[in-house]
Amino acid sequence: MSDTTEVEEAEGGPVRFMQQHIALDYVMRVSPIATRFAEGLHRGVILGRRCPSCSLVFVPPRTFCNICTVAMGDSQELEVTDRGMVTAFTILTPIQYHGQQERQDYALASILLDGADGTVGQQRLLDLPLEQVRTGLRVEAVWASEDDRRGDGGGAMGFGFGSAITGWKPTGEPDADPASYAEHAL
Amino acid sequence: MRDVAVVSFAQAPTSSTPVSDTEAQMLFPVVAEAMERSGLRRDEIGFTCSGSADYLAGQSFAFVGNLEVTGAWPPISESHVEMDGAWALYEAWVHLQSGHVDSALVFGSGISSRGDLREVLCLQNDPYYLMPLWADHVSLAALQARAVLDATGKGERDLAEIAARCRRSAVANPFAQRFADVTADDLLAEPYAVAPLRTGDCPPVSDGAAAVVLVAGDRAREVCEHPAWIRGLDHRIEPHYPGLRDLTVSESTRLAGEAAGVGDRPIDVAELSSSFSHEELLLRAALGLGDAVDVNPSGGPLAANPVMATGLTRIGEAARQIHDGHATRTLGHATSGPCLQQNLVCVLEGDRS
Repeated sequence: MSDTTEVEEAEGGPVRFMQQHIALDYVMRVSPIATRFAEGLHRGVILGRRCPSCSLVFVPPRTFCNICTVAMGDSQELEVTDRGMVTAFTILTPIQYHGQQERQDYALASILLDGADGTVGQQRLLDLPLEQVRTGLRVEAVWASEDDRRGDGGGAMGFGFGSAITGWKPTGEPDADPASYAEHAL
Repeated sequence: MRDVAVVSFAQAPTSSTPVSDTEAQMLFPVVAEAMERSGLRRDEIGFTCSGSADYLAGQSFAFVGNLEVTGAWPPISESHVEMDGAWALYEAWVHLQSGHVDSALVFGSGISSRGDLREVLCLQNDPYYLMPLWADHVSLAALQARAVLDATGKGERDLAEIAARCRRSAVANPFAQRFADVTADDLLAEPYAVAPLRTGDCPPVSDGAAAVVLVAGDRAREVCEHPAWIRGLDHRIEPHYPGLRDLTVSESTRLAGEAAGVGDRPIDVAELSSSFSHEELLLRAALGLGDAVDVNPSGGPLAANPVMATGLTRIGEAARQIHDGHATRTLGHATSGPCLQQNLVCVLEGDRS
């Protein structure tokens, strides 16, 4: 708890305000599957798992299929490519507040990797003027140097690429047919 | 009242080793087991309700992540309570009473080991008077324990006897975390956590989950040999601020017990959410449970205390006694808030043979 403030005059008499800041510390243990995914990223490999029931490929991998509710183990593991297509995007204009690192407008996209059945969200698009960002755009991963590839401990909603992939740049291929990502578009 | 039964129950084993799984990963096998034992297909579940608190795991929207274990596609009808899963069971039971659905999946879960419970549970206090003091739940329980001992003439040995009995009972419970063949003397040799409560009078920090399936009417008899029928279910709340209450009695438990019909016929087994040993004294008195009642044969919360699943586990354990044919009339109790502020009582009965 911080110190109390100076006495201030207020209607009804002098008052003193008390500030109270609450902090809670947590120790997050990284789940084994998140560790394995991070080890793959360190090698420059994106791992997924294929559901033995519905055959959907989940990237990042999961311990169970959340549609079929069947367990997925290491035997369902596979590698997917680091190429895919933009299915949705947002152009962000950063508001300047304390701690804000962004200074210029930038694009975040949902990307459907080739061979995967779900998109990965919040991915930074690089090397492309913002007015050219579009759905169907073919992109490939821009990997950090091996020493800088750290996984992401993960949260309630899963885990991501951590610092391993700095963003995604256009491949120069023709745009994907809208029918190929229609069910992933918002 | 519509006949509704607990037809299956599953729980996660608790351990002094903190889980590294996410909450959803911890829940997945538990919900899968409860579903498998129920004999119902997932698409037969009319309503799903869960209880958890994101402050425990320290992750916002962990409760949404937990829904992944239900296979919520196509979309399902579901709800969540920021309380023990026992209150999720209450909501599901009300839903079943409405007649709109015939079955429900209920689960509760919590990962307490990631934070410091004595800090995290401070947040359940009022923000003006008790929160700034960081009045933690163990210290508040100790205040109540002192008041109970003073009012009843009982002593620390009586508390140790309760705690020792719970730990001995827990030896037979494969899901228990703290179990041993100990005596009151052994526990009286332990240091105080906060006087008059010794470490043995306080629950362990547990990560865990529990799930039950509720089914209404004759369908329950089709899927379960010995359905545990919910014959009474009530919960009552006392003032939030402990200083406004008489801490030597649990009035809300008494009222809930009366409304649930606890005293109408003898109770064989009572599973009480007495996470501190003096709470068993309070709850036994409030519910009118005599010495003939087998209290917490599982070991109770002193053996494993997965916050947000502890109360649902009590109802599940009480139901299991009927499923296994060991008892015909049982009781599950859940609590929430500091010093037994809120209490829920569920009376279960088997079919009369």
